Amino acid sequence: MLQRSDSVNPDTSGLSSVGTGTVAAPMIFDPRTDIDPDKDYGTPAPTNDPTPVGELISLRIDGKEVRVPQGTSVLRAAAMADINIPKLCATDSLEAFGSCRLCLVQIEGRRGYPASCTTPAEEGMVVKTQNDKVAKLRRNIMEMYISDHPLDCLTCSANGDCELQDMAGVVGLRNVRYGYEGDNHLDAEKDESNPYFTFDPSKCIVCSRCVRACEETQGTFALTISSRGFESKVSPGQDQPFMDSECVSCGACVQACPTATLSEKSIIDKGQPEHSVITTCAYCGVGCAFKADMKGDEVVRMTPWKGGKANRGHSCVKGRFAFGYATHTDRITTPMIRDSIDEPWRKVSYEEAFTFAASRIKGIQKEFGRNAVGGITSSRCTNEETYLVQKLVRAAFGNNNVDTCARVCHSPTGFGLKATFGESAGTQTFDSVEKTDVMMVIGANPTDAHPVFGSRMKKRLREGAELIVVDPRSIDLVSGPHVKANHHLQLLPGTNVAFINAMAHVIIDEGLESTKSIQERCDVESFETWKAFISDKRHSPEETEKYSGIPAAELRAAARLYATANNAAIYYGLGVTEHSQGSSMVMGIANLAMLTDNIGREGVGVNPLRGQNNVQGSCDMGSFPHELPGYRHISGDEVRTQFEKAWNVSLDPEPGYRITNMLDAAVEGTYKGLYVQGEDIAQSDPNTHHVEQALKNLDCLIVQDIFLNETAKFAHVFLPGSSFLEKDGTFTNAERRISPVRKVMEPLGGLSDWEVTLGLSKALGYEMNYNHPSEIMDEIASLTPTFTRVSYERLDKEGSLQWPCNDETPDGTPIMHIEEYTRGKGNFALTEYVATEEKVTKRFPMLLTTGRILSQYNVGAQTRRTENSSWHGEDVLEIHPHDAEDRGIVTGDKISLASRAGDTQLRALVTKRMQPGVVYTTFHHPESGANIITTDNSDWATNCPEYKVTAVQVNKVLNTEDASEWQAQFAEFTKEQLAYLDN
Amino acid sequence: MSANELSHLVKMANQIASNIGLGSTEDEAVDKVVNHISLFWARPMREKICANMQESADDLNPIATKALVQINAKL
Ligand code: SF4
Ligand code: SF4
Ligand code: SF4
Ligand code: FES
Repeated sequence: MLQRSDSVNPDTSGLSSVGTGTVAAPMIFDPRTDIDPDKDYGTPAPTNDPTPVGELISLRIDGKEVRVPQGTSVLRAAAMADINIPKLCATDSLEAFGSCRLCLVQIEGRRGYPASCTTPAEEGMVVKTQNDKVAKLRRNIMEMYISDHPLDCLTCSANGDCELQDMAGVVGLRNVRYGYEGDNHLDAEKDESNPYFTFDPSKCIVCSRCVRACEETQGTFALTISSRGFESKVSPGQDQPFMDSECVSCGACVQACPTATLSEKSIIDKGQPEHSVITTCAYCGVGCAFKADMKGDEVVRMTPWKGGKANRGHSCVKGRFAFGYATHTDRITTPMIRDSIDEPWRKVSYEEAFTFAASRIKGIQKEFGRNAVGGITSSRCTNEETYLVQKLVRAAFGNNNVDTCARVCHSPTGFGLKATFGESAGTQTFDSVEKTDVMMVIGANPTDAHPVFGSRMKKRLREGAELIVVDPRSIDLVSGPHVKANHHLQLLPGTNVAFINAMAHVIIDEGLESTKSIQERCDVESFETWKAFISDKRHSPEETEKYSGIPAAELRAAARLYATANNAAIYYGLGVTEHSQGSSMVMGIANLAMLTDNIGREGVGVNPLRGQNNVQGSCDMGSFPHELPGYRHISGDEVRTQFEKAWNVSLDPEPGYRITNMLDAAVEGTYKGLYVQGEDIAQSDPNTHHVEQALKNLDCLIVQDIFLNETAKFAHVFLPGSSFLEKDGTFTNAERRISPVRKVMEPLGGLSDWEVTLGLSKALGYEMNYNHPSEIMDEIASLTPTFTRVSYERLDKEGSLQWPCNDETPDGTPIMHIEEYTRGKGNFALTEYVATEEKVTKRFPMLLTTGRILSQYNVGAQTRRTENSSWHGEDVLEIHPHDAEDRGIVTGDKISLASRAGDTQLRALVTKRMQPGVVYTTFHHPESGANIITTDNSDWATNCPEYKVTAVQVNKVLNTEDASEWQAQFAEFTKEQLAYLDN
Repeated sequence: MSANELSHLVKMANQIASNIGLGSTEDEAVDKVVNHISLFWARPMREKICANMQESADDLNPIATKALVQINAKL
């Protein structure tokens, strides 16, 4: 298979730094790009390859001429020529280590037998990989290993997938002279503490691949090799079980282990897979590519795929291990209907469910008007499914009341980046981080929420990049193994814009701006106005310190570091967007990047880290009520006419309701019907009381999901959803990368999600005809200028494509705004700091901010149904020791958390991660009711809720029997609704 | 403490006015607010807030009020 690597293909990257000049005449084999991601080349491709494109060094291996880039090991050079030198401690995801010596070779003119994995290839070298002497040495080495290894190959879980076994075969080991009676490790005890993998030290050959994987790939440094010589052994932490150690269960060590020592429990239980399908993780916005390793239609293992350009062969605990939810017994696989939510569900056929839903929706529209119904698309579903739902709303409902759960996370990103750069998306590719010198991470917690990218960041930081963290809480990146932030600006929640303005103020004040790029690339008038605005003393760090809490000197130092770096990049998350000034903050970030010339090449940029897997895609697909696919306003006649022709309907030129407005109108009684695909607004949206009241007021709530989620408890029609394993489609990750999702098993409910939408639409009288999701993508491509060259055929060939992908950029666009901004000239937007209305008072003296953790995902509906709950069984409230002491709270105490919106109870975790006056919790478990507490404040431009700032009071609960009123009601309601299920 | 639809709309209009209008003359600020609300608010929302301007007069800030007068004229 031909795999292209973005960073070296001048056409796709469009970067002058990699040499757009003369490209050498076509070679038969290009060792930089013609890499088979399914083959192990033993050592990684050389980084910072100094050889110009087209110039390679040439050597002879076993008589064959091999041409490779400088810095390539002899082992890798040989593998490229399909000469496979035996090896054990080397694998191409890790730097060579040179410990097993199995890879030794003979090199003409050199003494001895050097290890080929640690020997760089040189011009004119002549290498022999096989002769009698080498063979004997290798056999001796294998003999040593095997003498201390159990000989239970036939019943071993790694049988068929063991490199030790393979090597014994390759070197022709026939007998073992040392006998097994001597000292050995055969009785070493197994560690089965991790729910997903076991550690059986009796099979360990101490190659240290696991240790290096944990360091180099994952960056956790949880494993060590203790002692030396015969005594040496691998152990997590201080000789602890895996579950008690620092291990985050990413599985990199398991994948790197050449033996059965570290093995997936699923493989131990079920055996080796017999085929694999490449697909894309359905959890977070990193969008890791995986090989779904299958036995028939059962997934037995998920292996991150080395050919995946977002993850380069790495993954986290969610993607690799937490796939069991797909076949959980809680899955609902039959359509159900009921007249009211106080009635039991009736199982019906799809046809009946569609007819029922359609007649109710039509009835509502007749009585309450066309605008009284709408739909919500999901950032977890595929692009194609999302496209269909918005099409159904616009064409079959006849209004634009369509919104998406991205409303509540990244809508300010779309708004803010469009207003400044001209395109509603991040500017970079993930690989770009490898060229970054200074990273500024604002309101994001990548090691928990975007773990694989977090690992790539840590790798770059270990190489010497500098780091500024802006967060109220001390996230892991602030201080971890071999990673330390140069500056942690611990601001008070709600003062983001004051902070970003102060950064810009310092840069102008100290003359650190990049005048040249501003003059050349930006709208100079907007810059001058903005400059006058930002120069005002009210934006100086000395002033903003008073309310943001960031010491002025520290902020000035951080501003200098960011402004003077060769390449500085900003990474941000929901800590930026989920505020009453989320959009202003995004624009402030964009201003800062334009001001310092940090846009338009590798290593720089503005990078929103997206929460759910397809946040980018759902926004791209026209899920917002004012925009058609490709971010084009519905009021634009030309665009709308194009869609009207293609869809054969007339479209409403007026923007529709956003989720928040739908709910408000529902409470008022003017909005009555809602179709929700793969989204749980009852749990994920703020101010639960308000949401529940709205949902109860609906006459027809259609929920399409894989589980009876919280929203479905208020539904009249339930349509079974399908997991990412049960359908074809595409997801688009945070770097605009469109990656294929492939069906590996039949949908448990009989239909894939896109087929369900087609059925509903038909019943509503608007028939859409597609035989396969690829036809939906073809339609998207034909109507969306940034997608014109995207098709399933091309995705199959290229692996993935980053939009814009059209006639101008047929291979996609890893990095945006290179020559000029999408909107032409970059626009400096004025971003006045306006304090949120959510203020601390005597009654609510603390600020609550919310976030997420590694092992759980979003509302937790999937991860809670896996062993991931071993790490996070409940949501807890993090509180600073001072605040805890004032209230007599110790870790583990039940506390009550109250805000103006409501109150709930949680357990406390006393930690110095928090600053005094600020508390923190996650929202992965519905019964915690974190959103009972959050208010209906929202971003001024997009109504993205202000999850990150709520004034609260925390008290110790004295009578631990008492649940909060809401929790008691929740428990009661849940019980009632579950009873309606089994009939 | 959930606001009703109208009070929520009033709050949104005020928020837009205080975030969008700065650094420009009052007329420009009003234009920007008119533009933002026309682009992003559904018709029933515009109708609702305009129909109840009397009732919300005390709560709406001056820029928002002026903008809504113009929006009302275009409905
Ligand atoms: S699972 Fe990941 S974090 Fe845990 S020891 Fe292995 S590599 Fe390290
Ligand atoms: S556990 Fe596996 S990878 Fe680690 S040292 Fe032992 S054999 Fe090597
Ligand atoms: S959850 Fe995110 S980081 Fe983890 S495997 Fe999936 S896409 Fe990758
Ligand atoms: S593979 Fe080269 S020394 Fe182990």
